[in-house]
Amino acid sequence: MTEKSTEVLGRDLGLGLGLRNVHFEHILEHWPAVDWFEAISENFMDSGGRPRDVIRRVAERYPVVLHGVSLSVGSTDPLNLDYLARLKALAAEIQPAWVSDHLCWTGILGQNSHDLLPLPLTEEALDHVAARVDRVQDFLGRRLILENPSSYLTFSHSTVEEPAFLRALAERTGCGLLLDVNNVFVSAFNAGTDPQAYLDDFPFERVVQLHLAGHSHRGTHIIDTHDCPVRAEVWELFARAWEATDGAATLLEWDGDIPNFETCHAELLKARDFMDGPTHAAAPAPLAADGRDAVSTPVDFMSPTAMAAVRGDQT
Amino acid sequence: MNRAAPPLGQVQRWMHEALRAPGGDTDARLAEMIAPPGRIQALDALGIYQRSYYQRLLTCMREQFPALCRALGEQLFTDFAREYLREHPPESYTLYDLGRRFPGYLEASRPDRDAAEAEREVWIDFMVDLAAFERLLFTLFDMPGCEGQPLADASTPDAALRLQPAFALGAYRFPVAVYYHGVREEKSPDLPPLEPSHVALVRKDFLTRTVPIGPTQHTFLKILAEVGSVPRAMVDLCTRHGLDRAAVEHSWSEPGGVRERWIDAGFFVPA
Ligand SMILES: [Fe+2]
Repeated sequence: MTEKSTEVLGRDLGLGLGLRNVHFEHILEHWPAVDWFEAISENFMDSGGRPRDVIRRVAERYPVVLHGVSLSVGSTDPLNLDYLARLKALAAEIQPAWVSDHLCWTGILGQNSHDLLPLPLTEEALDHVAARVDRVQDFLGRRLILENPSSYLTFSHSTVEEPAFLRALAERTGCGLLLDVNNVFVSAFNAGTDPQAYLDDFPFERVVQLHLAGHSHRGTHIIDTHDCPVRAEVWELFARAWEATDGAATLLEWDGDIPNFETCHAELLKARDFMDGPTHAAAPAPLAADGRDAVSTPVDFMSPTAMAAVRGDQT
Repeated sequence: MNRAAPPLGQVQRWMHEALRAPGGDTDARLAEMIAPPGRIQALDALGIYQRSYYQRLLTCMREQFPALCRALGEQLFTDFAREYLREHPPESYTLYDLGRRFPGYLEASRPDRDAAEAEREVWIDFMVDLAAFERLLFTLFDMPGCEGQPLADASTPDAALRLQPAFALGAYRFPVAVYYHGVREEKSPDLPPLEPSHVALVRKDFLTRTVPIGPTQHTFLKILAEVGSVPRAMVDLCTRHGLDRAAVEHSWSEPGGVRERWIDAGFFVPA
């Protein structure tokens, strides 16, 4: 792990974990045997404090990927060049294996919902997003990797299926894809479609990275909460995607109710059980909904534990 | 294309407005925008985004203002924060910016803002001050600091002491820092009485400390931040405020005095 991987070395980084605040201390103390880390770009790009220090030290020892949530590549607002400049500066410092974000928009009219909102999938949207991906890639001087989002609704005027949309986008712009198999499951369930059919059409040859995560089943719908272990159905999709991508870099996202590092790591390593192809028998996930309020894209994803690092000299 | 597809920008303006101000859509409008349901109705599908929008931002507000949330009670805090978010929807790409305008919003939206100062509600003053304190404290977390570089020590001459970058000063009408730490220590403190307080915030080894200071010390540090050097700040302080130079220098340099304590707390880097 002394030599840093770069994108030139390919997409086979192995099994990685999201770099989260609550694990900082554990990581710096134990330097655990994780293959690589994925950092939420926005949690580090403006930091002159601990997060920046941690990511620097982690990047000296592990391959790191920068994963953004605020690019808003699908918005009809102008691209935020200030944001892109900060992202570029962070990338110059950290030398990530690649930089990714989502096929989505996050706001309009200068406002930010801080959610990953779905796009109508039309030829118009494809032209729009492709032009912006080109500009982002020019600006950053590197290839962008885009992820399929989880969604709870589809627009009535959509005319293109998401796999075809992503295929066309990748062909036009040369961007790579991050396939989140949990998002595939969540979106398909909510839309009442077949996740396997989604994968039938997916351009696996463009996939650089896979995401795994847990979700929250509400009976009538599923919320993408990233707050629990990966469900059996999602492992099944992973097994197929792993085989079809010839072992793309795989990352477990855990963003709400984050357990200790070892628990996250153990969950990630379960992926090894599903690397022999999609025939693995999987138990169905429990349908029972838990009582908590589920928020999609949990806030820990983006918010620091700043207020924990305060001490008073009041006495 | 299906039907007459609305332009992308129009769809986005519609959806964003639906998140910020739920309930404004007719069934016909929803049916026009959202595909026939898979498993969930259009209204419920949109509702997931609507609920998540406020829940996500409110959770973040509670994390950025933990003591204010305790002081107001979660329900009232959430009501204020929701109104704030309605009036000032987030504009930044980062959630760190979310609470920036909250103290100003609380002051501007107070129901007694047109009353004479003496007639205003004291508890609202406290909430405004506490919000300002918590915001300032929050910014210390990520501002540029001097970790990894040497701090000043006892041997650093006065003329070479410089305030370090992760440093801030606050002046309040109430002992907000004491209240804040009471909350953090789960002591359920009472709302404090009107009593001015001054505090220095400093980050050392990625830990932010709140250091209580006196009003004269606050003035001195403010001058120091302007003029840069300790000997000049001391002269300025004495001339501007008619203080006795010898007394000031004594309390600065005596054993266990201000100089020693502030150097220990990490206020200074060597020039
Ligand atoms: Fe993901």
